[in-house]
Amino acid sequence: MKKFNIKSLTKGLLAFSAILFFSCEFEDQVDPNNPSLQQYNSNATVNELNNLVVGIESGMRNGYVLYVTSTGTIARELYLFNADPRNTEDLLGKNGGQLDNNVFYLNGPYNGSYSNVKNTNILLGALDNTELVSDQEKSGYRGFANTVQALQKLRVLNMLDENGIRIDVADPDDLGPFVSKDVALEHIADLLNTAYTQLGDAGSAFPFDLSSGFDDFNTPATFAQFNRALAARVAIYREEWSSVAGLLDDSFFDPNGDLGVGPKHSFSNASGDQLNGLFKIPGNNGDMIVVHDSIINNAEEGDLRIERKMAERENAASQDGLNGQYETALYPTPTSPIDIIRNEELVLISAEAKLQTENIPGAINDLDIIREAAGLDPYSGAATEAAVTNELLRQRLYSLWAEGHRMVDLRRYGLLNAANLPIDRAGDQVFQQFPVPLTEAD
Amino acid sequence: MKKQYLLLIILFLIGSFSYAQDRVIEGQVVSAIDGLPLIGATVVKKGSTSGVTTDLDGKFKLDISKPEILVVSFIGFAEKEVAVNPDTSGEITISLEEDITRLNEVVVSGLATSVKRSNLGNAVATVSSEELTGITNQPTLDNALYGKVTGVNITSSSGAPGGGIAMRLRGVTSITGNNQPLFIIDGVYVSNDEIPSGLRNASGANSGNEENASNRIADLAPSDIENIEILKGPSAAAIYGSRANAGVVIITTKRGKRGETQVNLSQDIGFSTIQRKVGIGQRDWTAALVESEFGAGEVARYTEALNGRGLVDYEEEIYGETGLISETRISANGGSENTKFYVGASLRDEEGIIKHTGYKRASIRANIDHQLNDRIKFTTSSNFINSKTQRGFTGNENEGGLSMGYNMAFTRPWANLYPDEFGNYPDNPNAAGNMLLVRDKAINDEDINRYIQGASVDVNLWETDQSFLKFKWNGGFDTYSLETYVYVPEYHQAQRGLQNGFIAVGKNNIFNTNNQGFLVWDNYLGGGSLQLTSQVGYAYITFSRDLVYNQATQLIPGQTTLGQSGTQELDQTLQNVKEFGYFAQQEFNYEDKLIGTLGIRADKSTLNADQNQFYYFPKASLALNLANFDFWNFELMNQLKLRAAYGETGSSAGFGSLFTSFQAVNIGGSPGISVGGLRGSEDLIPETASEFETGIDMTLFDNKLSLEASYYNRNIYDLILQRALQPSTGFGLEVTNLADLQNQGLELALNASPVQNENFIWSSTTNFWFNRSKITRMDVPPFAPAGSGFGLGLGTAFIEEGEPVTQLKGTKDGEVITVGDAEPDFQMSFFNSMNFFKNFDFSFLIHVKQGGNNLNLTTFLTDLAGLTGDLDDQSGIDRISNPNTERFIEDASYMRLREIALYYRLPKSAVNVFNGTIKTVKIGASGRNLWTVSDYTGYDPEVSTKGGAGLSTGLDVNPYPSTKQVYFHLALEF
Repeated sequence: MKKFNIKSLTKGLLAFSAILFFSCEFEDQVDPNNPSLQQYNSNATVNELNNLVVGIESGMRNGYVLYVTSTGTIARELYLFNADPRNTEDLLGKNGGQLDNNVFYLNGPYNGSYSNVKNTNILLGALDNTELVSDQEKSGYRGFANTVQALQKLRVLNMLDENGIRIDVADPDDLGPFVSKDVALEHIADLLNTAYTQLGDAGSAFPFDLSSGFDDFNTPATFAQFNRALAARVAIYREEWSSVAGLLDDSFFDPNGDLGVGPKHSFSNASGDQLNGLFKIPGNNGDMIVVHDSIINNAEEGDLRIERKMAERENAASQDGLNGQYETALYPTPTSPIDIIRNEELVLISAEAKLQTENIPGAINDLDIIREAAGLDPYSGAATEAAVTNELLRQRLYSLWAEGHRMVDLRRYGLLNAANLPIDRAGDQVFQQFPVPLTEAD
Repeated sequence: MKKQYLLLIILFLIGSFSYAQDRVIEGQVVSAIDGLPLIGATVVKKGSTSGVTTDLDGKFKLDISKPEILVVSFIGFAEKEVAVNPDTSGEITISLEEDITRLNEVVVSGLATSVKRSNLGNAVATVSSEELTGITNQPTLDNALYGKVTGVNITSSSGAPGGGIAMRLRGVTSITGNNQPLFIIDGVYVSNDEIPSGLRNASGANSGNEENASNRIADLAPSDIENIEILKGPSAAAIYGSRANAGVVIITTKRGKRGETQVNLSQDIGFSTIQRKVGIGQRDWTAALVESEFGAGEVARYTEALNGRGLVDYEEEIYGETGLISETRISANGGSENTKFYVGASLRDEEGIIKHTGYKRASIRANIDHQLNDRIKFTTSSNFINSKTQRGFTGNENEGGLSMGYNMAFTRPWANLYPDEFGNYPDNPNAAGNMLLVRDKAINDEDINRYIQGASVDVNLWETDQSFLKFKWNGGFDTYSLETYVYVPEYHQAQRGLQNGFIAVGKNNIFNTNNQGFLVWDNYLGGGSLQLTSQVGYAYITFSRDLVYNQATQLIPGQTTLGQSGTQELDQTLQNVKEFGYFAQQEFNYEDKLIGTLGIRADKSTLNADQNQFYYFPKASLALNLANFDFWNFELMNQLKLRAAYGETGSSAGFGSLFTSFQAVNIGGSPGISVGGLRGSEDLIPETASEFETGIDMTLFDNKLSLEASYYNRNIYDLILQRALQPSTGFGLEVTNLADLQNQGLELALNASPVQNENFIWSSTTNFWFNRSKITRMDVPPFAPAGSGFGLGLGTAFIEEGEPVTQLKGTKDGEVITVGDAEPDFQMSFFNSMNFFKNFDFSFLIHVKQGGNNLNLTTFLTDLAGLTGDLDDQSGIDRISNPNTERFIEDASYMRLREIALYYRLPKSAVNVFNGTIKTVKIGASGRNLWTVSDYTGYDPEVSTKGGAGLSTGLDVNPYPSTKQVYFHLALEF
């Protein structure tokens, strides 16, 4: 056998070791599975920005199902019967219990909204640091981002109400303080106005596409109509009644048109997409949205909205001492879209603004549009402010059932209380607002 | 003249010859028990590197020029010193006594060096192949260790064939990270991952760790193993640096021995049955009881069943099978002076106690050693494994109707789940799924092809009589593809109308490599009285994972492939990690009296925020062998060693903790990105553990009795925790360093060899150990770590300063209180092995775990369903009327006859009828877990429904029940 030259072998081995010794400088780590936030800090491309736009539209749905079922349970629109007993215990204040500050029915909608606020802030930040899109295109992105951000913040404020919310959340290491409800509403209105101006500077087309939910609202001009519709909703929350008519004029408000018109959250079976969680298998046990019996019992004879939105169950649903004969039929399939805001709500906003500015006949006129669409005869009650207010809230209830409005509406008119709402079990309570999440505290 | 390097691990002892040709003495080394020659025993001149090994007849020749003391050693025998001088004439016979104390055993002390156990500064546990697999058949390696080593705690996440074991050395070392030791087999870092199959997407289980996947150590055939060394903590494992926080298990497989080729063939046949049933649905049903429990409407169904099929014990129906186990092993080893080989193959086929569950493993190994020339030696170790597992569906779930245990908990004995004459399974009227349909028609399989390759090169660079310089390189890779397949038919009741059938196909590829290079320098000073061993080296490790998950729902009826579906989902996760380290170690040994080690390892890893920052892990140890000093004249005690060791190790955060990334989202078919829940931590550093261990070892009565006692105190600093962020930041969590943890414990091992004579040899080992932990720092308020339980009401682990990390919290009357602790008070094991009349071997292992609580949520579910067997007894009534968490807490103490065996070796006269073709024939019978005494009312006190990671102990949610096994053995040697 050939004799190895030990010296050269040794040299070889040592050289090999030395190479390893010095060549092992590791490169900066990047996530191989997902895009990193850092790449949006400078010169983001149109493709990158557009991916973020899709993420923002998709993110508008985050937490929305729990937002609807949780506020709806408190406002006694519905019950959510599933495996989690807290849906029927905590939210109804069973046996004097209080709302938890670290639980899914709060954290889900809260975190979902703020993560999408983050998405919009990332998009806004990326626009400030890229030269790959024109100023006009930037205006389009900004108008879109600010409009969505305003809507997300409004949903959080609707839950926390007098607790206020944080509005300045762009820097995760230096969050702004909680501000009062009024300041927050003003901020949201300002944000919508800023977006409206930006949309006006955005030319005739967006440099990005939106899903089919925004068909008819996917240009700067038509998206601006959606923006003004949201501004009208905020205006009635702020009781700025006189501004409502002008806002509605700039929106897609059409008292003579299809009440169903408006932008929507869309859903699909596509990989990574979401399904409409407010759809429940008809007649299913174990996971159901049950209509509060009072909604059925108090409905006017012949109100088509009952049969359009609700279905009678073969076996009455019962859980935790609560019962219901009807379940939701609001969405026929798990891919049915959910309205963000539609003409029907704008007509109701118009009615409310007229009512509050002492134009009672005008208000009744608007309400009759709603009644007619529901198969009801024109309003025949007293034309007093109190009676028409009552009628307005009633029409809002049936027109907007299980869409996240009832708790806010009752609270606005001082009616979110046990005197006005059915108490199903002795010891149940009616809550005004959700607490600040445990992990949000400073 | 030839030199043999039979025992690689004691290579440093062997050097060149002294060429002063004054006198050659000849001798033979034999066993004192049977007088047979010992092949490969080492004979060295005391105080030098000069020596030889014995040949095929146990003979040796050695040149000496002056009176010398020869140190004669052989694995498993007590070392002996023999004085010789050049005038000695004729052959000297040196007979070695069997060594029950293992003082002479060689133990790894550095990455490239080893040391005699009697000189160790640490407690290092060693398990031989005889202890590991010599008693009974062992399905998996990790399970085989339980009760044999102090400081080990093992829980089982599934009793299904094919593994699902979590092993802890000296308590919990991490809260979110890895708590399982590093496994190294023949120098190759091997993966012990638990890779989930995605069945949670159909069952509604909360996370991948509830899928009860098997852990990949189960792939290794225990029969290939020669020896296992367990470095339980940083004081022993510091040289392994940032992978060793949870200890290191070093596995050495069998290698060839010089001589005639020896062939071993063995066949085991076994039977597996459930250890105990918990009695689901076993109440004394009457119509009145049915009415009071389930309402009047249920009585008709009950009486209808009574008049028809009768009541069904579904626990017996599902878990009542007897699983047949067959394991065939064949191995051959032998070799020439230059080349030695070991080839082993084994085939294991194990049926579970649930129909259509089982495990098949085929393993083949080839280990080759080649001596190229005087200076260079190569080894290679290759192992290919194919295993197929049918896991079945067990454990926790949510409304998926798949877990047989979960659905059984709600199924009333009068429910009819049997298929009709057309094979249609009825819906389960009481739960989300029909267990019989799931058992017969749903599929949850794993298929592994794995290849592990190790290699080493040893080069003697330079040697003199007093010093020895060696280069050593070793490395290898571990690669496997794990394919998972889950199928739920579209007609399953929880599928209809929603997913309409479910298929999940996982294609996971793992490729891990490591290589190390060292220079080792042995040097004798002061005429041989001071031995110095120095080593320096590097290590480079890579881990690469590519996990592809494909899911299909909305299946075309009857179809079982991905494409035959309406909706598909894809996911791919890449995880690449690189680590690099240097180390240096200095050992010194003064006449076997005072032995010390100093060492340091520097590691960097791409898992750390600063990937090029080195973290340093020092170690030091000192052993003082009092009995070797001249003043020692206490004859009864032939060894008394005081030892102390200190070491540090690390553990990096899991892959992905550093990144702030978007996640993929979609709306209406368009892809987009959205912020994920995790905010990357820019200053994440590894968790570091520092351990101080001290102990005393003594041997009495001429090696007949030995005691090893160790105390350790391990502090883990900068524990990595997930911290909840203010959600208005847009992020939910951040992984960061937030707490410190302390583990302290005591380990005692008593070895005795009370009788050793021609007709009866008895050796006995008693182990005793316990661990106590405490959170010593917390930068955040106390909290229940995500995924460690099901919320406070049902009991959960709870991280709180000043309290044990294993404590369990729950609620009592609305208040949060401590309800238990998963940590046992102590554990004990008692192992005895006896040989009668040379031909009979009898051995048994009893294991006691005292204390430690489990949360028995299986009973919670059957209580909810009104089906727990004891609901009409006082215990059940008390439990039902108690609204607090304490009703689920149970004492998980037990005493278990873990292993028992009796073997008979046929006498020579009987074997001779085979005309010498067969050398020995051994037959026997054995059992595993045959007998357990415990008050625990669940299936098995060693339970963990949340898999092997994190704080997963003691949660019992409808697991695959544990089994007991009886085996019959036949072993032939050719």
